[in-house]
Amino acid sequence: MEKLTLERKDAVLYAKLKGEVTLDITNDLKRSINEELGSGVEKLIMDLSGVDFMDSSGIGLLVSVNTRMRSGGKAFFLYSPSPQVEKTLSLVQLLSFFEILSDEDELKAAMV
Amino acid sequence: MIDRVFKTRSTPKESRQLAKDVVEFLAGFIADGDALHDMDIMLTEACANVVRHAYDGDSGELEVRVRVSPGESVELEVVDWGCGFDEEVRFENPGPESEGGRGMFIISMLSDSCEVRKLRGENILFIHKDIGRPQWKS
Repeated sequence: MEKLTLERKDAVLYAKLKGEVTLDITNDLKRSINEELGSGVEKLIMDLSGVDFMDSSGIGLLVSVNTRMRSGGKAFFLYSPSPQVEKTLSLVQLLSFFEILSDEDELKAAMV
Repeated sequence: MIDRVFKTRSTPKESRQLAKDVVEFLAGFIADGDALHDMDIMLTEACANVVRHAYDGDSGELEVRVRVSPGESVELEVVDWGCGFDEEVRFENPGPESEGGRGMFIISMLSDSCEVRKLRGENILFIHKDIGRPQWKS
């Protein structure tokens, strides 16, 4: 899927989303991510720097992935949400709910 | 005042495209990117509600009626002819672990007023947004 790039490094999965994350693609995204999570991923980092539009179904996707990771005792981070995504997350009061990596140093530390 | 009506089928793809078309029309009047993004979010959420709830999993007619009052405000009516809203529409923010139910809350946060109306078989979500004079194209 062109909107989603997955990179695997040992038990860390780096997922980069691009463009718009809305109702017409969230089910497909969820399926692709869940398939990959089935194979021993201990930490998921979702790069949202290239997402210029996210609606509530996109937020639902993040919440669902977060619940799956945390209930399995695994880590889930958002990396560098774009200003548009940050605004929507803040509107629904979820900015502090997710663990957010804001710069490359934090990303590098989390990738280990 | 300028009025314009946009219509489509309530599939996920077409409803998102409808929101984009309305925003493109509004961009002819409004210069401010944040104001346009707010309109985009509200329209996308309102149209997605129709896709998900109006026609029992099927698709049906979806219409957006736009009224632009240049220098002042934009009013939207998002209309379907399906099963209608529950008696009590919730504009509250659900808990952080809830996967859905945030659409109406987002619309209520970004608009100056919004309400649901049922009129002659039409289910209407009415949205009013004031937009300050500096945010309009001169």
